[in-house]
Amino acid sequence: MSVRRVARALEQRLLTLVAALTAVVLLVLFYYPVATVFADAVLADGRLTIEPITAILTSEFYLVDIIWFTAKQAFYSTLASLALGLPAAWLFSRFEFRGRETLRSLTILPFVMPSIMVAIGFVATFGRNGTLNRALSAVGLPPVELLFTLEAIIVAHAFYNAPLVARVVTAAWESVDARTIETARSLGASPRRAFRDVVLPQLLPSIGVGATLTFIFTFASFPIVLALGGFQLATIEVFIYSRVRDLAYAEAASLAVIETVISITLTAVYLRYEASQRSAGGAANPLPRRSVLPTDWTPKSTLRTAGIAGYALVVGLVFVVPIASMILASVTGGDGGFTLANYAFLAERQATGASFQVKPLPAILNSLAFAAGTLVVAVPMGVTMAVLTTRRYRGRGLIDVLSMAPFAVSGIVVGLGLLRGLVFGVDVLGTRIRVTGALAIVAAHAVGAYPFVTRNVAPLFARLDGRLVESARSLGATRTRALVDIELPLVWTGVVAGAAFAVAISIGEFDSTIILAEGAGSYTMPIAVERFLGRRLGPATAMGCLLLLVTSASFLVVDRFGGRWGEL
Amino acid sequence: MRLELDAVSKRYGSATALDSVSLSVDDGEFFTLVGPSGCGKTTTLRCIAGFEAPTEGTVRFDGESMAGVAPESRGVGVVFQNYALFPHLSVGENVAYGLRFTDPPGGGSRDERVAELLDLVDLAGFEDRDPDSLSGGQQQRVALARALAPGPDLLLLDEPMSALDARLRDRLRRQVKRIQSELGVTTVYVTHDQSEALAVSDRVAVLNRGRVEQVGRPRELYHRPRTRFVAEFLGENNVLDAVVESRPETGGIRVGVGDAVFTLAEGRRVLGRGDPVSGERAESDGRDGDRPARPAPGDELTFCVRPEQLRVGAETNQIRGTVVDTEFQGATTRVRLDWGGTELVVAVEDGGEKSDAAFEVGTTLEVGFAPASAHIVE
Repeated sequence: MSVRRVARALEQRLLTLVAALTAVVLLVLFYYPVATVFADAVLADGRLTIEPITAILTSEFYLVDIIWFTAKQAFYSTLASLALGLPAAWLFSRFEFRGRETLRSLTILPFVMPSIMVAIGFVATFGRNGTLNRALSAVGLPPVELLFTLEAIIVAHAFYNAPLVARVVTAAWESVDARTIETARSLGASPRRAFRDVVLPQLLPSIGVGATLTFIFTFASFPIVLALGGFQLATIEVFIYSRVRDLAYAEAASLAVIETVISITLTAVYLRYEASQRSAGGAANPLPRRSVLPTDWTPKSTLRTAGIAGYALVVGLVFVVPIASMILASVTGGDGGFTLANYAFLAERQATGASFQVKPLPAILNSLAFAAGTLVVAVPMGVTMAVLTTRRYRGRGLIDVLSMAPFAVSGIVVGLGLLRGLVFGVDVLGTRIRVTGALAIVAAHAVGAYPFVTRNVAPLFARLDGRLVESARSLGATRTRALVDIELPLVWTGVVAGAAFAVAISIGEFDSTIILAEGAGSYTMPIAVERFLGRRLGPATAMGCLLLLVTSASFLVVDRFGGRWGEL
Repeated sequence: MRLELDAVSKRYGSATALDSVSLSVDDGEFFTLVGPSGCGKTTTLRCIAGFEAPTEGTVRFDGESMAGVAPESRGVGVVFQNYALFPHLSVGENVAYGLRFTDPPGGGSRDERVAELLDLVDLAGFEDRDPDSLSGGQQQRVALARALAPGPDLLLLDEPMSALDARLRDRLRRQVKRIQSELGVTTVYVTHDQSEALAVSDRVAVLNRGRVEQVGRPRELYHRPRTRFVAEFLGENNVLDAVVESRPETGGIRVGVGDAVFTLAEGRRVLGRGDPVSGERAESDGRDGDRPARPAPGDELTFCVRPEQLRVGAETNQIRGTVVDTEFQGATTRVRLDWGGTELVVAVEDGGEKSDAAFEVGTTLEVGFAPASAHIVE
C-alpha cells in the first residue's frame, strides 16, 4: 500500500522531475559554457572590463573586413536565395507536373545535408580540376577560378536556403483561397490586379519569413565560408575559429559575444514577426494548377515555358551538378579512369603518412558513436521540451525562449564555451572536473539537435486532444499509463523523425566539433573532410559521398515519418 | 449511484467558473445540465469526473467525498462531444480499453463484453474497423460503448450530439435514452440545447454564469420558470415588466404595462410545494423564504406568457398589435407582433392553405391570454 502511494506521488511529480533533469542538462551543456564565453570577454584577471569588446567595435579591420563583410555576404546570399527559391514556389503551387510532390519533399534535403559536404560538391564542380574546368578544357576554353570568391559563397548559400524559401512561400501560396481571387475578379479586378491586391499581400509575410531566416542562417554560416572563402574572405564565425586556433581566447570570446548578440536580436525579431504572421494552413479552395507545357503555344505561353526551362537549367547547375560532381570525383582516379581507391583509402586501418594525421576509419566510427550518444541525450530532452512547451503553466514563455536559445547561438560559440568551460576543467568545491573532448562533442551535438526533436514532436503533442487522455483516465488508466497507451503511440512518428534529424545534425555537425576535436581520437567525418579538402580531393569526395548516404537515409526516415517541420 | 455536489465552486485566478453549485442526482436518474456557453456546465462535469478539482465544496458519490480521488479511480464513464476515440486503436480495441484495468462486468470474456456493447449500440461486427472510417454518429456510438464497457456507476455525456446533424441527433438521442434506461446507469448530460434538455431528461438544472438558476422536471421548468433567465432560455417566451396596480376582491392581481392593464392569476409565484428539489434549493439559499409572497400595489414585477398561450381573438387581457413578420413552421405559424414598440410572439395553430392571407404583414391582430396562463418570475 505504501509502495503504491510512493509510486503515485512519484508519478504526479514525474514531469517535474524529468523537466528538472532536462534543465540541469541544459544548464551544464549549454548555459554554463556559453556563460564562460561571455565571462572570457568581459573579465581580465578577474576584473570586469569592456576593453576587448570596445577594441573590436572601434577597429576598422573588425568593423569593415569582418562584421560588415559578414552582413554583406548574408544580404547577397539572401537575395540569391530569394531569386532561386521564389520561382520554385511559383512552380510548386501553381503547376502540375510529374515528380512535383517528390521535388517538394526534396526541399528539406539541404537542411539535413552537412554544409562541409556541400562545400566539397562546390569544390568538385568549380575547383581547378572540377567538372566546370574539365568541361571548358574539353571544348578548348581556358580554365576559370571560381573558388575563394564571394560568388562561390553566395551560390553555396543559395543551395542551402533557396529550398527553405521555396518551402515557406509554397505553403503560403497553397493556402491562398481561390474564392478570394474570384471575388476580386467579380468586383472588377484584372488578373494582374487581383494578384497584386489579393495574392501578393498573403505571400509577402512568408517571403519575409524566408528572407529573415536565410539572413540569420547565412550570417552565422561557417564551414561553407571556411571551405570556399578561406581566411581571405572571413565572416565573424571563421574569424572566431582562427582566433581560437591561435589560442587568442579573449579576442575570440569578445567576437563571439558580439555575434551572439546580433544573432539573438535577429532571431528575436524573427520570432516576433513569425508569431504575428503565422497563416491558418491549407485553403479550403486552393488555386487550380495548370500543366507546365501549355496546351496552345501563344507568344506569352512560349515565353513562360522558355523561362521555366531556363530556371530548370539553373536549378540543375546549382543543385544537381555539385552533388553529381562529388560522386563522380570520388570514383575518378588521377588518370581520369574509374577507381574505388578513394573508398579503399577510407577503410584503411593503418594510417599512412599520406593521411595527414587524419585517419579516415576512426573518423567514421567516431561519427557513428557521437551520433548514437546524441540520440541518447537529445531525444529524451527534445521530447521533454515538447511536452513542456505544449502545456500551460506560469512562466511558460520564459521556458520557451530558454529552451530554443540554442537555435540562436552558433555552434562555434557553444564549442568554444564547452572547450573553455568543461574540457579545460572547472573547479567544483575544490575538485577540478574535466570532460574529455569526445564527451563535449556529444554535448554540443545534443544541444544542436534537441530543438529539432522538439520541433518535430511538439506539434503532435499540441494536436493531441486532451480529451483522449481524459477518456483513458476515466476508463481506469493512470496518467503514466495514458501517456504510454495513448500519447506516445500518437507522437511516435514525430519522435522517429526527430531522431533522424538528430542523427543527421550530429553526423554533419562541424562548427563546434572542429573546436572540440582533439586529434584522431575525436575527429569526425566532416572534420576529416575539411582536413582532406585542398590536399586530396579524392578521399574528401569519397567521405562526402558517405555523408550524403547517411544524410539521405535520415532524410528518407524524416520524409516517411515526419512531414511536419513547422515553418522549416 | 447517488451523486451530490455540495456548494462546489471553481475559480481560475480571478475568474469564477462555478459559484457554489449544489445539486443532487438520484440513482438511475437522467439528469441534464443546460445553459448558454460559459455557464459552467462543462466545468461542473469535469469536477464530477475528476479532471478538475473544485476550489471549494465537495463532490460525493453515494455519500463518499471524491476529494483527492483520481479520475481513473472514480468508475465514471465519459463521452465527449468530439468522441475522443483513440485513433491508433481499432473500434474493438477502443471499446476494450477500459477492460484492461478491470474485469468485464457480468463475468464473461473481454471479447464477449466488447461484442455485447457494440451490439447494444447497433454496431455489431464493427470490432476491426478503424475509427476514422466511421461516420460521426457511428463514432459517437463507439464512444458510448467504450464508456459503458467497464460498467461505470455514473455516465457523463458532454455535449455528445452537438457535432451531428439535426435528424441524426434526434435518433441518437432516443437511442442514448433507451440504453440509459435499460442499464439504469445514473447519467449526467451536458448540453446547450434547451429543446434536447427538455426532451430526454428526468430532471434538468439550468445554469447561468456559474450559478444554478433552477432545478426541476422539464415540464415544471417550462411552465413555472423561477427566473427571467429560465423563462427566456427554455423555449420562446414573451416576458413583460409590469407595475402592480391593485389587488381586486375577486382575486388575482391587476398590473399595468405601459398604458395597458392586465389581470394575472395569483398563487403560481410560490414554488416548490411537494417538489423536493426546489424545496432543497429554498433551504440552501434561503432566497425564496425572504421574498414577500403577495406583491403590493406599486411593486414592480415581471411576468411571462408563452406564445401558444396568446390566443387570437381572446377577450381577456386583450392586446392589439401589428403583424411585422410570420414564419410558417408546419403545425403552427409564429407571428411577430409590434405592440407599441414591444415585440410579442404568437404561436397560431395552422389553419390550412387558406390562412396565408390571415397574417399579412401590416394587418392588425387582436390577441389575449387567460389570467392563469401568465406566470410571474423573479
